[in-house]
Amino acid sequence: MNDNMIQCTGVSKSYRRGSTTVTPLEKLDLSVRRGEFLALMGPSGSGKTTLLNLLSGIDSPTEGSLVIAGNELARFSRRELTKWRSQHVGYIFQLYHLVPVLSAFENVELPLLLSPMSKKERHERVKSVLDLVGLGDRIHHTPSELSGGQEQRVAIARALVAAPPLLVADEPTGDLDRESARKILDLLRQLSREHGKTIVMVTHDPRAAEAADRTLHLEKGQLLEAA
Amino acid sequence: MNAVLNLLHLAWKQLVRHRVRSLLTVIGVASGMFLFTAVETMQRSLAKATEEGAADTTLVVYRQNRFCPSTSRLPEHYADEIRRIDGVREVIPVQIVVNNCGASMDVITFRGVPEGLLGKFAPEIEYIAGTEAEWKTRDDGALLGEVFAARRGLKPGDRFEAAGITVHVSGVLRSPFPQDNNVAYVKLPFLQTASKSGLGVVTQFNVRVTAQQKLASVAKSIDAHFHSDQQPTDTRPEKAFFAETAADLIELIGFTRWLGLGAVLAVTTLVANALLLTVRGRVKENAVLRTLGYPGRAIVCLVVSEGGLLGLLGGITGVGLAAAFLHWQSFTLGNEGQTLAIRPDAPVVVIGVLAAVGLSILASLWPAWQAVNESIVKNLRT
Repeated sequence: MNDNMIQCTGVSKSYRRGSTTVTPLEKLDLSVRRGEFLALMGPSGSGKTTLLNLLSGIDSPTEGSLVIAGNELARFSRRELTKWRSQHVGYIFQLYHLVPVLSAFENVELPLLLSPMSKKERHERVKSVLDLVGLGDRIHHTPSELSGGQEQRVAIARALVAAPPLLVADEPTGDLDRESARKILDLLRQLSREHGKTIVMVTHDPRAAEAADRTLHLEKGQLLEAA
Repeated sequence: MNAVLNLLHLAWKQLVRHRVRSLLTVIGVASGMFLFTAVETMQRSLAKATEEGAADTTLVVYRQNRFCPSTSRLPEHYADEIRRIDGVREVIPVQIVVNNCGASMDVITFRGVPEGLLGKFAPEIEYIAGTEAEWKTRDDGALLGEVFAARRGLKPGDRFEAAGITVHVSGVLRSPFPQDNNVAYVKLPFLQTASKSGLGVVTQFNVRVTAQQKLASVAKSIDAHFHSDQQPTDTRPEKAFFAETAADLIELIGFTRWLGLGAVLAVTTLVANALLLTVRGRVKENAVLRTLGYPGRAIVCLVVSEGGLLGLLGGITGVGLAAAFLHWQSFTLGNEGQTLAIRPDAPVVVIGVLAAVGLSILASLWPAWQAVNESIVKNLRT
């Protein structure tokens, strides 16, 4: 069995912006081991989020091969890719993107609503994930009743609840104070080390990157290993 | 199936927790459906009163070239001659007195009939209060159709006065024929005297034929029989008679169909607008759901469910309120002595609610399409 969770080979991404063609990623090669916690750093516009979008299957490369968890994503139809995403990827956003009228419990439950599991099983899963992120006592709170750090924990729980092997996090601590950020990073490290999750995290913060096993710098669409 | 129920539940939560927006949309839909139901009730009531069915066996014999009860005067003894015509099962002379001959929403119609003939002519009549026997004991006794009694709040023992005639309520009756439920039956001699039309003179004859197929031939025979008489007749099936006599009323009600169409258009536009705003307000939220693995059809299901639920709530509210309002108010439109009860029925309610749901689902299709056809990445950036 291949030890890599992610294998990018010659991946490029370009799109039209007005009359010009923008290429945020060009012939990029990347391998990420199963269970590895990888930090991606780089200046704004360097293609970090674009790479994250490709890895999570919400965008597709213009050229190159992208194999994740043994699946060549280019072979999937739109419907197959959606299903694959629901089972293999958990996406953590910088601004959490929780549904404001739903409680923490209901937000975390969202990815499971289309699964065939029973209500009881679903509820047990949601509770256990909320306990794991330390919010077992906040399950009925709506996002407006939670702090930024707690909201991000709910978002992490939502990303985890369908038990995906890969988590992608787009600046998960970018909107948090230092203490909350530290707790979120501890949680991500725990998920990688104790639960075997492969994590790819985009960050601008060198302190956040220190939590990862490896840090890569993205500049002008190319990856550079951190010194 | 489980997934669809879960999505419906999620759509319901979104509606309930966006209370003000949902309430305003439901009120808008309800207002449109109230108007639609009122118009549709008028149309259906009119259709029932004018469209002939297999069970219709009644002819109305009127004075030729007369269109108002006060000007149609026929000799009462015509009844004996009509009874002898082949195909006639029963005939009843009727004196009509109304308080208002023109198109009006407040018409009181007295029908004077011979005491012993009502039950024989109309065996389908059922007494829901009082009895025919009580009616027979008083000269000024009146049997009220149930719609008439409900509209005026009258019951046995009450007295009321209209068109200069004062009567005592002896009973309340129910008939499968809407016209019978809107009038007050009194004894013929009493009405002839009280209205000063004179004994021996009636407004019309109601004739029951032995079979519906004989309506045309019997009508022709009656008119031919009195063709050379001093008072020639014009005989038509009861519903055709209503349609021709109450032409003004029908034209008026026909116009209201446009109001109904306006209501339908308003509901569709309102729901479409509300859902478009919802979808635009939730561009990012839908993109997040798609990132979590919700397929396009699930997002469509969510948006359409919200639209359908808004339509269902608005429909039930608007149609229910309109049906209750029309039922309790017991409106009656009258013209030339003909009355039309505006009564909601079960098909109107079912059609109204289904129309509200159908229109709302239709209105939500475009917003649903919009919600799934932009790229996830673009929507996450908005």
